[in-house]
Amino acid sequence: MLSKLLDPESVAVVGASPKQGSVGYVILENLVTRFGKKVFPINPKYDEVELWGRVIKFYRSISEVPDPVDVVVIATPAPTVPKVLEEAGIKGVKAAVIVSSGFSEAGNTELENWVKAVAKQYGVRVLGPNCIGVYNAYSGFDTVFLPAERAGRPPPGPLALISQSGAVAAAIMDWAARRRLGLGFLVNYGNKADITETELLEGFAADDRVKVITIYIEGFKYPGEARQFLETAKKIAAKKPVVAYKAGRGGAAQRAVKSHTAAMAGSYEMYHGLFQQAGVIEASSVREMFDMAKALAMQPTPRGRRTLVLTDSGGMGIQAVDALEALGLEVPEIPESVAKELKRELLPFAAVANPVDVTGSTTDEHYKIVLDALLPTPLFDMALVVTLMQVPGLTKNLADYLIDAKKYGKPIVVVNFGGSELVQRFEEVLEGNGIPVYPTPDRAAKALWALYKYGEIRKRL
Amino acid sequence: MTHPIVSRALSESRGKLREDEALTLLRAYGIPVPDFALVKNEEEAVKVAEAIGFPVVAKVVSPQIVHKTDVGGVIVGINDAQGVREACRRLREVVKRVPYAELEGVLIQKMVPKGVELIVGAVYDEIFGHVVAFGLGGIYTELYKDISMRVVPVDVEDVWEMVREVKAYRLLTGFRGMPPRDIPAVVDIVYKFSRLIEDNPEISEADLNPVIALEEGKGAYVVDARFILRINY
Repeated sequence: MLSKLLDPESVAVVGASPKQGSVGYVILENLVTRFGKKVFPINPKYDEVELWGRVIKFYRSISEVPDPVDVVVIATPAPTVPKVLEEAGIKGVKAAVIVSSGFSEAGNTELENWVKAVAKQYGVRVLGPNCIGVYNAYSGFDTVFLPAERAGRPPPGPLALISQSGAVAAAIMDWAARRRLGLGFLVNYGNKADITETELLEGFAADDRVKVITIYIEGFKYPGEARQFLETAKKIAAKKPVVAYKAGRGGAAQRAVKSHTAAMAGSYEMYHGLFQQAGVIEASSVREMFDMAKALAMQPTPRGRRTLVLTDSGGMGIQAVDALEALGLEVPEIPESVAKELKRELLPFAAVANPVDVTGSTTDEHYKIVLDALLPTPLFDMALVVTLMQVPGLTKNLADYLIDAKKYGKPIVVVNFGGSELVQRFEEVLEGNGIPVYPTPDRAAKALWALYKYGEIRKRL
Repeated sequence: MTHPIVSRALSESRGKLREDEALTLLRAYGIPVPDFALVKNEEEAVKVAEAIGFPVVAKVVSPQIVHKTDVGGVIVGINDAQGVREACRRLREVVKRVPYAELEGVLIQKMVPKGVELIVGAVYDEIFGHVVAFGLGGIYTELYKDISMRVVPVDVEDVWEMVREVKAYRLLTGFRGMPPRDIPAVVDIVYKFSRLIEDNPEISEADLNPVIALEEGKGAYVVDARFILRINY
């Protein structure tokens, strides 16, 4: 069922509108211009309207639609929703996205209960109400009522996001689009009258295009939910990394959570414990969640925690060591015999300890020499490579050497910082070839930690 | 399966277990508690203390007295029969001073040597169900919010993680010349306690406070325990 919701073949939009600026207009535009499959606009006020250079036929009701409908998107005023849902049920539609607000979040619990009852009676699964719904970058199925010029749409890719907040989801979508981050799926479940984050987790677990699942959560809502999440997440995390960011940790933040989501929240320590038990990797911000998710999607897990730091800047190397050690990762020294051998091939003033500092006078080849000499050995499980491209000896060929080092099967992350076109191009090539790039050593270290942590989770589950 | 001690308390509409019941329940789950007995008079107290072996502790048992230490209801370091008699008399005085308090008896308990004091707890949350908690005893747990929690049931690996997770873990591994503590014994207590909570879902809140961790190989003991029940479960 969830696969129909996330990846439908045909969609009806109740409340579709030719009036620019309305919710019904944006959703219709999304689907007509970017969704390659069947779209049926429903609005009794219109018959045929020319929009986006084509003639759009409106239907008076769902029952008039000649073809089967996989998903109905409902964007009509709240009081009309139960009736519309019933029509969808009679038509045999299996899933509904209720975009409309004015339900339990506004104190209108009775109306929401009515929606639940109708959904149950007709066997329609409901996402929402009060949600932005689904964005599927692969098919262009897109119920997000924010115009694409305001909230960019990310390209297809290995990440999926399950978000309790619609606004946070939209902001992440825009941010991911600008960075060309492959966020293939995004779902916001709003009031969670029916479909829960746990079921969405299962839905993404079953989709091979999704490599890493990210979750933005403020709090569970229903009794006993935490236990269901635990049991499901545990099974999924053994096969696919799940990264979560729980917002609302302190006292004041928890009050905010309650008023925002009407969720009855356990304490933050309970969520933390739950994530640990479930093998869910916990992030402490949205940015960190995607820093980690990117690495998990691109890189293998390391066998242990011993990290090689390779840098052309002494200062960046020191920062990297600080960050790695604070996270419980190791930065072991290079045995003297190995260092002596390596020193002969590098610049005389290069420091061959760990970090290995090839210095600002380095060339691309020096990076290659160090990686080829150390990464295949049992001395190291992974590498953090700082490439400040501002030094004269480095060129875009360095990217090829780094990509080539993937053959050793050990995680590699890169720290690269700057604004020149060379820097940007360099980053694009690396990320296009599965090597994640971060602007600061602490963020790269956290990404390596996530890979290490996931390796440990895999061993345990 | 609910333990008879819990069922009996519920059938008598008691929302709380007595001290001796709490310790017996722990013992039934293999959780180490120092030898103890609930006595009704001085003579019995002396006999029990001699059987257990000195030093012992005497604690007032009264349903109306929740914070025993605050009213002078715990007398430690009793080394002989004379001390036991004196303690019994003092505890009777304590009960007289607390309005409406009735003396149900005196708990004589073998005194546990000094060690690192820990707290193990459980709470029922509507969303999470039963959750177990672990932290260092005393004021620091509250001050630094240095506490770890897990959802019941836990496995042994979960417990190791929750014990290692608290900052106070270093006190258990040996810190500033202090000896390392019996960490496997602590883990065993938390694990068995989680089983106890799982079997007895009528428990809405419980603390084992303090749990005293002795030196490596010497075990850990629950010295005091409090169980609150949901009467209308």
